[in-house]
Amino acid sequence: MDTEKSEIGKGRGGDVIVETVSRLMVPFIQLFALYVIIHGAGGPGGGFQGGVIFGASFVLLVIAFGIVKAGDRFPEAVNTAFFSLGVYIYAGVGLLCIILSLGVAQYLNYGFIPLTAHFEENRALGMDLVEIGIGITVMAVITSIFFNLVWKREESEEEVGEKEGEG
Amino acid sequence: MKLISLSALFFVIFLGVLFIYVAEDIPAFGDPYSAPNKYVNLSISMDAAELEDNLNKGVIPESLMDKIEERRLPLPSRVEPIKEGEWDAIIIPEEEEQDFYPKEQKYYLIKKEGDKLWVYRYAPIIRYIEEGHHETEVPNMVTYILADYRGYDTLGETSVIFTAGVAVILLLRRREKRPEAR
Repeated sequence: MDTEKSEIGKGRGGDVIVETVSRLMVPFIQLFALYVIIHGAGGPGGGFQGGVIFGASFVLLVIAFGIVKAGDRFPEAVNTAFFSLGVYIYAGVGLLCIILSLGVAQYLNYGFIPLTAHFEENRALGMDLVEIGIGITVMAVITSIFFNLVWKREESEEEVGEKEGEG
Repeated sequence: MKLISLSALFFVIFLGVLFIYVAEDIPAFGDPYSAPNKYVNLSISMDAAELEDNLNKGVIPESLMDKIEERRLPLPSRVEPIKEGEWDAIIIPEEEEQDFYPKEQKYYLIKKEGDKLWVYRYAPIIRYIEEGHHETEVPNMVTYILADYRGYDTLGETSVIFTAGVAVILLLRRREKRPEAR
C-alpha cells in the first residue's frame, strides 16, 4: 500500500526518459505560449489561447514529476494571487483610460492612455496589455483547477487506503 | 492576517463598484441607434438640385449609379423616401443569389445635408470590417473586435473564468495542512 501511495505523489515513478523530455519541453511550451499572447494582435492567438498553453506546461510538469515536486515549483499562494492579478490588470487598464483623460473617455477606450503620440497606436498597445491580463488569469485558473483535482484524488485514495488498513 | 483580510475586502468592494460603474457606462459604446453603429458614410456626394425630384419619384439617377459602380459596391434596385430629405436605397437579390441575401435588403441611406446628397451604408458590422484597421492599427479583425469594440464582453468572460477558478478552490482545496512527501 505504501508503494502505491508514493507512486501517486511521484508521478510516473521517476522514469528518466519522461522526466528529461518534459524538462526539455516545458521552456519551449512556455515560450510558445508567450508568443501566442503577444502575437494575438497580428495573427491568430490571444490571451485565452496563450493562457491555456501556459497552463498546459504546468500540467505536463505534474504528469512527469508528480504533484509534490511540481507543486513546490509553483506554490498555490502565488497561483491564487495571479488569479486576481489578471482581472485587475484588465479592469485597471479600463479605469486608467478614465483617469488619464480626466473623465472624458469611456471605460476601456484605450486610445486615451498616452503610451505613444498616436491615438490608434495607443489602442493597439492597450489591447496588448488587456490580452496579457487575460492570459495571466486563464493560466492561473487552468493550473489551479488541475492542481486541486490532483490533490483531491490523492487525498481520497489515502482515505480509501486507511479504511482498508483498518478493515 | 487581519490586514490581509481587510485589504482583500477593500479590493473586492473596489472591483464591485467598478463593475457597477461599467454597467452604467455601456450604452455609449453599445447603443445600436448611435450614428457610427447605424450607418457609415461612404463619402459619395452629389449636388442635390435636380436629383431630388427623381429620388422622390422612385427613380435612381444615373450619376448616382455611376458613382456607386465606380466604388464596386452593389447597385441598388429602387429607392423609397423615408421623410423629407432622406431616402432608403434597396437591393433586390437576383435569383441565383437568393441564398445569400434571403430577401430584399435596405442597403444605402441617401441623406440631404445642405444642398448636397450624401450616401451612407447601413449595418453596424460594416464599421468593424472597414474602419477597424485604421482606427486601431491592429491587423487582426478578431482581436480588435474582441478586445476593443467588444471589450466589455471580454472583461465579463475573464470574470467568468475567474469565478470558475474560485469555485473549484472553495470546493476542493483542503483546509488542513498537507502531509509531507513520504
